[in-house]
Amino acid sequence: MSIKNNWWKILSVLLMLYVLTVGMLTPMKSGIYGVDSISLKASENTVVRVEGYNSNYDKATDLRAWLKFDSTHIIKAKRISVIDYKMADIAFDLNVTLPGTSEVLPATLIIDNEMDGYSIFPEGLVVTRNKMEGLKPLVSSSLNDLHQAKGFKFPYMNILHETIRNTFFHVAIWMAMFLLMTIGLIYSIMYLVKPTLKYDHVAYSYTAISLVYGVIGLATGAVWARFSWGAYWTNDVRLNMAAVAVLIYFAYFILRGSIEDQDKRNRFAAAFNIFAYLAMIPLLLIIPRLADSLHPGVGGNPAFSGEDLDNTLRMVFYPAIISLILLGVWIASLRTRIFQLEEKHIDKINKASFLVE
Amino acid sequence: MRKKLDFRWQYIRMSKKSFLFALFAFLYYDSIAQAGDDFIRSTGKIYAVVGVILVLFLGIVFYLFRLDKKIKNLENNHDE
Repeated sequence: MSIKNNWWKILSVLLMLYVLTVGMLTPMKSGIYGVDSISLKASENTVVRVEGYNSNYDKATDLRAWLKFDSTHIIKAKRISVIDYKMADIAFDLNVTLPGTSEVLPATLIIDNEMDGYSIFPEGLVVTRNKMEGLKPLVSSSLNDLHQAKGFKFPYMNILHETIRNTFFHVAIWMAMFLLMTIGLIYSIMYLVKPTLKYDHVAYSYTAISLVYGVIGLATGAVWARFSWGAYWTNDVRLNMAAVAVLIYFAYFILRGSIEDQDKRNRFAAAFNIFAYLAMIPLLLIIPRLADSLHPGVGGNPAFSGEDLDNTLRMVFYPAIISLILLGVWIASLRTRIFQLEEKHIDKINKASFLVE
Repeated sequence: MRKKLDFRWQYIRMSKKSFLFALFAFLYYDSIAQAGDDFIRSTGKIYAVVGVILVLFLGIVFYLFRLDKKIKNLENNHDE
């Protein structure tokens, strides 16, 4: 095995090692895991107990918190009593004239310290107005001097928490599947243009490994869904469309195996592969974007873009895709080499397939 | 022919074994998930990530086993 011809296999393994180590060992940014009660009653001393995630409330020297009603009505906490590194009681003086007239107001809780940076409780709080007479006017403070989290850290997202690391495996394997299927498609077209047995073998090999990737993509998605959505399978459009796409590719293998005549079989397989690929594009790329979905990026859910798929995630996500593509090319080349060996012993195989399969 | 059939049986047994192993691994994982939801969800659901990596690994290994089987077939034919 010479390095010159096999460097990409080594690269694939090294990239996967990089993804596993950096992807698993990089800490998450600090966030707000939960509060004792999201509904607050306005009083002179309204206390909310906050549970932080990856936070350093006890070590931080500049711990501050705010309750934000809108951009001009921000109340700073009057006292924060830290219990431990992830627990703190935050007291607000809410006996002030709150904006608007409604009895209950939504508010956003923001915590900031110099070690963890700022974090926002995404679910928001609900404040019930105090209808007492003679309230003090609200003195709004500004949020201009918030700290940014230091160091190489993955973004903290509510509900997802550490499972944001699944992006490197679940999302990356779908991306890798797309590229491998495209290679299979190109070889199928090449077979139809110029019927050479090798093209058929390569197309089959790439389609086989991308089907394996597709099934893995569904299975990893099921595990991820179990712990972020609560069930292995939901009626999410993207899930069902992905399952249909995978089933179409299953049909490719079943139908291909059912045709005896080799020439006919290869031509049929090449044509079906083009059909399957063309069916997959709307199933995976277009329909899920039109419908409501629990997936990020559709139905009003934030996508893993901009702030979310931030540069720290990208630095692991792209190597993960490249690693899985190279691994797929490697496995597909093994499958092609088996075909070539079978060609060499075609007569014996014919006899054996009669007995074995 | 007798030999061939034996090999065939062996492969069926092998794939059965790996399927059963995968099934038990999944049931074990699921039972942890059911009984001790706190465990999988502890430390920010990091064990859900472990589960995803295991599924990915098992999926690729499953296909490698199938390739292994095909190569074994070729070797057996070659020897005759």
